[in-house]
Amino acid sequence: MLVTWRYRLRNGLMEKFDPRARWIFSLAFLFAVTMFWDARFLIFFFVIAFLWYFSSRAKWKETRRGWYLVSFILFMMIVINTIITGGGAGGVVPPGGHLVWPLGVTLPLTGWHFHFGLTWERLWFAICQVLRIAGISAIFLIIPYTMDPRVYGVTFRGLGLPDRFAYSMELAFRYVPTLARDFSTTLDAQRARGYEIERVKGGIVKQIIRIAPLVVPVTMNSILTGEDVTNAMDLRCFGTRPRTWLVKLTYHWQDIFLIILGIGMLVVGIVANYIFHIGGFWVPEFWLRMAGV
Amino acid sequence: MQKKSWKFGTREVVYSAIGAALYAILSLATNWIQLPSAGNVSFRPAVVIPMFFGVVFGPIVGFIAGFLGNIISDLIAGYGLWIWWDLGNGIMGMLPGLIAVWMTTYRGIKDIMWAEIFSALGVLLGMGVASVSEMWVSGADVNTVIFANFIPAIVPDLINGLILLPILMVAYAAIVQRSGR
Repeated sequence: MLVTWRYRLRNGLMEKFDPRARWIFSLAFLFAVTMFWDARFLIFFFVIAFLWYFSSRAKWKETRRGWYLVSFILFMMIVINTIITGGGAGGVVPPGGHLVWPLGVTLPLTGWHFHFGLTWERLWFAICQVLRIAGISAIFLIIPYTMDPRVYGVTFRGLGLPDRFAYSMELAFRYVPTLARDFSTTLDAQRARGYEIERVKGGIVKQIIRIAPLVVPVTMNSILTGEDVTNAMDLRCFGTRPRTWLVKLTYHWQDIFLIILGIGMLVVGIVANYIFHIGGFWVPEFWLRMAGV
Repeated sequence: MQKKSWKFGTREVVYSAIGAALYAILSLATNWIQLPSAGNVSFRPAVVIPMFFGVVFGPIVGFIAGFLGNIISDLIAGYGLWIWWDLGNGIMGMLPGLIAVWMTTYRGIKDIMWAEIFSALGVLLGMGVASVSEMWVSGADVNTVIFANFIPAIVPDLINGLILLPILMVAYAAIVQRSGR
């Protein structure tokens, strides 16, 4: 089994920023954007998100798999939310509104006539959902492509997480290739004994049980190895003093700027929402005019 | 030796890392299995890993195995980072970990039964938290969250977890007995 990280150095603007600053910015963006349903604000966040995304220099060929997933989720969410259930974030879209088909819809050939509750307001809400989810996706989807897996541990330590948790993270990344190799070895050994993982016959329960000869040896083997690693780390006095890290992260002026931008968006969001009560769901005039209202 | 539920020593650091890496690798390796009736829902037998690591090594190990494992799996697959779903996976491993201190043989009916109950609760709570977060992030309504997120997530996770967990527990009991650890 070949495990490859999506990260490679692209020399994009994004990579010039400290990973801690990037995390703070990304999380601040997430919390800020989720305070708004007003498309005017969402467009601003959408533009910021995609400017950030394109600063990575990642190619469509590289990220398309992630975007397919996002598109699928978005499609399901909007089709079910807007067309089938007719909801909208627990009361974001006011009840009533202007029906898209006030006289109902007649299915061609069959002549069946039914009334459909889709409103222009809900359609506008769907557009707002697209803006919001696409913005959030652009910020978070790009992380694996632009952040070196070797710096996750030190980054989270720098963000204030306990040393042990950060080291656990570091260790997990290092274990991935080892366990992938163990998995391949086990799969080959089981295949030599006549094990057929690709067999699709049988129900779900049978398929799951068929996985056991693969999952059990890999898991048990890694548990036994873990005992040796624990002993080796204990012998080297792991955890008795604060840990030092191979990579040293330092904030530069551009990182401070990014953090201020992120925190600024969040503060503006809080003030706009909770003090001035703006940023809620809003339908533009032209949209209703287009609907003939 | 008396077990401590929330201890996070060297052993727990190592097993959290192993659990996370294992969850990521097995998730990627079994991505090809699909639900026959819902082609787009990926069937992940690997969900048993955070549950099992929780039951054996405690709630913190279970949480990290689920949380970090899901992050690594998504990083390798190129799906980006979805913190609220990572958190849900973490809770799925943390809840079974709450009974780690009461585990004795790992193969007795009582042990297995409690592990199954807490794992099921972990799935319900973890996926519940992740699904409800979609209301906050995506603006979906309750019905959408239930039918598009919660049910497609819990059904395969419950089936996988409840079938594979006893198998892993019995195998672990054999290891404990043989190695005297």
